[in-house]
Amino acid sequence: MKRTAILIALMLASGLAANRTLAVLQTHTTSAALISTTSPQVRLPGTIYVSQQGSIYAISGSSVRRLALPSGGVWTQPRVLGDGSLLVIRRFDAYSDLYHVSSAGRVLGQMTSDDQSTTNPTLQLDHWILWPAVGADGTSVYFATDAPKPAPNQSYEVDFSLWSAPLSAAFSIGDSGVTGGTRWSVPDLYTGGDIQPVPLPNGSMLYASYANTGKGTVVTVLGLQTGPSSRMLSLTTPEQDCGAPAVAADGLTVAMVCTHSGQAADLEVATLEGNSLGPARVLVANCLCNSPSWSPSGDNLLYMNAADPNGNFGLWYIPNAGGAHPGTAKRVTDASVDLDATSAAAWSSH
Amino acid sequence: MSRSYDLSGRRRGRRRRASLKTGGQQVARGSFVVAGFLVSVLAGVVLYFLPALQVALRDTGQVNTSLGGTAQLKPVSASENLSSTAPFTLLLLGSDSDSKFKGDYLTQSMILTRVDPITKHVTMLSIPRDLWVRLCSGGNGKIDQAFLHGGAQCAIQTVERDLRVHIDYYAWIGLQGLVSVLNELGGINAVANNPVMDDYYPADLSGGNPFDYQRILVLPGAQHMSGTLALEYVRARHDDAYGDFARSQRQQQILIALRAKTKHISLADIPSLATSLGADFQTSMSIGQVSGLLPIAGSVPLASITQVVLLPPYTSNVYVGGQDALMPNWALIRPEVAKYFPAVS
Repeated sequence: MKRTAILIALMLASGLAANRTLAVLQTHTTSAALISTTSPQVRLPGTIYVSQQGSIYAISGSSVRRLALPSGGVWTQPRVLGDGSLLVIRRFDAYSDLYHVSSAGRVLGQMTSDDQSTTNPTLQLDHWILWPAVGADGTSVYFATDAPKPAPNQSYEVDFSLWSAPLSAAFSIGDSGVTGGTRWSVPDLYTGGDIQPVPLPNGSMLYASYANTGKGTVVTVLGLQTGPSSRMLSLTTPEQDCGAPAVAADGLTVAMVCTHSGQAADLEVATLEGNSLGPARVLVANCLCNSPSWSPSGDNLLYMNAADPNGNFGLWYIPNAGGAHPGTAKRVTDASVDLDATSAAAWSSH
Repeated sequence: MSRSYDLSGRRRGRRRRASLKTGGQQVARGSFVVAGFLVSVLAGVVLYFLPALQVALRDTGQVNTSLGGTAQLKPVSASENLSSTAPFTLLLLGSDSDSKFKGDYLTQSMILTRVDPITKHVTMLSIPRDLWVRLCSGGNGKIDQAFLHGGAQCAIQTVERDLRVHIDYYAWIGLQGLVSVLNELGGINAVANNPVMDDYYPADLSGGNPFDYQRILVLPGAQHMSGTLALEYVRARHDDAYGDFARSQRQQQILIALRAKTKHISLADIPSLATSLGADFQTSMSIGQVSGLLPIAGSVPLASITQVVLLPPYTSNVYVGGQDALMPNWALIRPEVAKYFPAVS
C-alpha cells in the first residue's frame, strides 16, 4: 500500500517535472537589469550620465549612482553645464519640460511648463522640448520644440523646430513660439522637422534636419546654419541619411549615425572644413548605433549600441575616435543593462 | 524421457506455475507503472501546451469565416500540396480590434507576402487600406472594407481578383494581440526613420473612451521598442508627409525587426505566445505550419527582403463615394505585382 502510494506520487511528480521542464526551456524575456556597475575592462575618468527606465544614472569609474530626481515622468537627455550641474528633460505622455538639476539630482529650477492642461484641456496645446544643448559660452541653451503650431486643434501639423534661449532669463513655450527665445530653423512640414542642435564655438549650429524627398521617403541630412536667420547648408546627402550629430571639443570633429535609409546604421566621423564636411570614416559598420557623444577632452567617443539584433542597448566607448588610429570599441555597461538609446550620454570632467 | 519425477515434478510444476503467475503479475504491474508514468508525463505536456492547443483548435487552420450578405464565396482553405520547401504567399491582415468596432473590423494593414524557403527570399507588398477596388461582397469600396463585409475570405478573394495573385494562406492579428505578443517577446530593436509625431493618435487601448485622442512621439534612430511603442510607430499617420504609405513602410520595418526575434523562439514558447495573442489572431495555416514558418523567418537575411509600397503613380488620390480614397492604376500595379507573386489560377 505504501509502495503504491509512493509510485503514484512519483508518477504525479514526473508529470509535473515534464511540465516544468518545458517551462524552463521557454525563452525568458526578463526585464533588463538596472545599471549597478560597469565593465571591469573600462574605467573612464570623470562622470558619465545615462538614462535608463526613466531615471538618470551617474557612472564614476566602476561605481554607479542613481540621481535622486523627483518621481514621475521619464528623465532623459542629460547635458552637463560648466559647474557640473545638469540640464535634463522630464518627459510625460503628452509633453516634456526642461529642468536644471544638481549633480545629485536636486531640482534647481523648472525651466519650462509645457503642460497646458491646467488652463486649456485641448491636448494639442501641450508642447515637447527635447535635445537640450548648452552654447559654447555656457550662457544659452539650444533645443528642439514642436512650437509654434500654426493651427492647434485644427491641423495635424506638429514638427520640431530649433530655438535658443538665454540660460539666465526665463523663457516660455507657447502656441506662437518661444517667448524670450530665438528661432533658428523652419522645418520641412510633416517630416518630424529639425532636431538635435549642436552649437559650435564659432556661433554656428549643426543639427539633424528631416526632409521630404518627394519620392515617398523622409530622410535626414546634417544641416549647418551660421546664424539664426541664415539658410541651412546640407553637409551630408539624403542618400547618406545621417543624423545624431555630436561635435568634439575642437569644434571640428563630427560624429554621426548614417543609416543609408536602411535598418542598420554606420557610426561615422568626419571633419568640418569651413561650411562643408570632409570625407567620413566609418568607426562601426552595420550596427544598431545611436546617440554618440564626446568626452570633455574631445578624444574619446561614447555611443549606444545593441551588440546583436535582439540584444540590450549598452554604452560603448571608442578611444581616440577622432584620430587617425581609433581604438577598439568596448562595452562600458553590462550586457544585461538596457539603456535609453535615444538619450546620448553626457560626460563631465567633474 | 522419464516420468518418474512425478511428486517432485508436480511440486516443480506448481512452483513453475506459481512462478509464471507471479511473473505475469509483475509484468502487468510493471506495465501499469510504466503506463502510469507515461500518462502522467503526457498529461504534464498536454497541460503545458493547452493554451496553444486551444488557439490551434480555435484560431489556426481556419477553413471558413463568417460572411455577411448573400455573396457566394469559395471557402478559405490551406493549400494541400505545399511542402516545407515550396514558396508560398501569405496575406497578413491587421485590424483595430478595440471596443470601437465591436467585432466589425476593417483591415488597417494588408501586407501581401511571398516566402521562398529555399532561396530565403521574402517579398512584402503593402496594399494601401484606402485603395478603391471592386469588393468580393459586391460593389466598389475601400479595400479595408473587404474584411468587414466578409472576413478573411472576402479580403483574400478581393486581393486575388483585383491584384490577380494567388494567395495560399492568411493570418489576421488585432492591435491588442500585436502589442501583447511583442511584449511577450520582450519588445524589438528597430531603427525609427524619423521623429514620428501624432497629436490625434487614437487612445483606444487604454480602457477609457475609445474615441479619445492622445499625443504620441517616437524618437528617431536605433532603439528598443516595447509592444506599445512599436504599435505607436506603425500606427501613427497624421503628421506624416506620406500618411498611410509611410505607415505601411513602418509596418514592414517592424515585421523585419520581428524576424530577428523568431530565431530565439522555441516550441516551449508557443503556449505563452498563444496566450498573449488571445482572440486577436486567426490564420488558415495549421499550428505546425505556423511553427515551421518561424525558423524560416529567422533565417532570412536582411538583404533578401524586397519591400514594395504602392506609391504614386501606382495610385492617385481621388474623392469618390463621399470619401477620400486611392485610385489604383492597374496597368502599372498588376505587372509590378506579377514580378513577385504567382498569378491566380
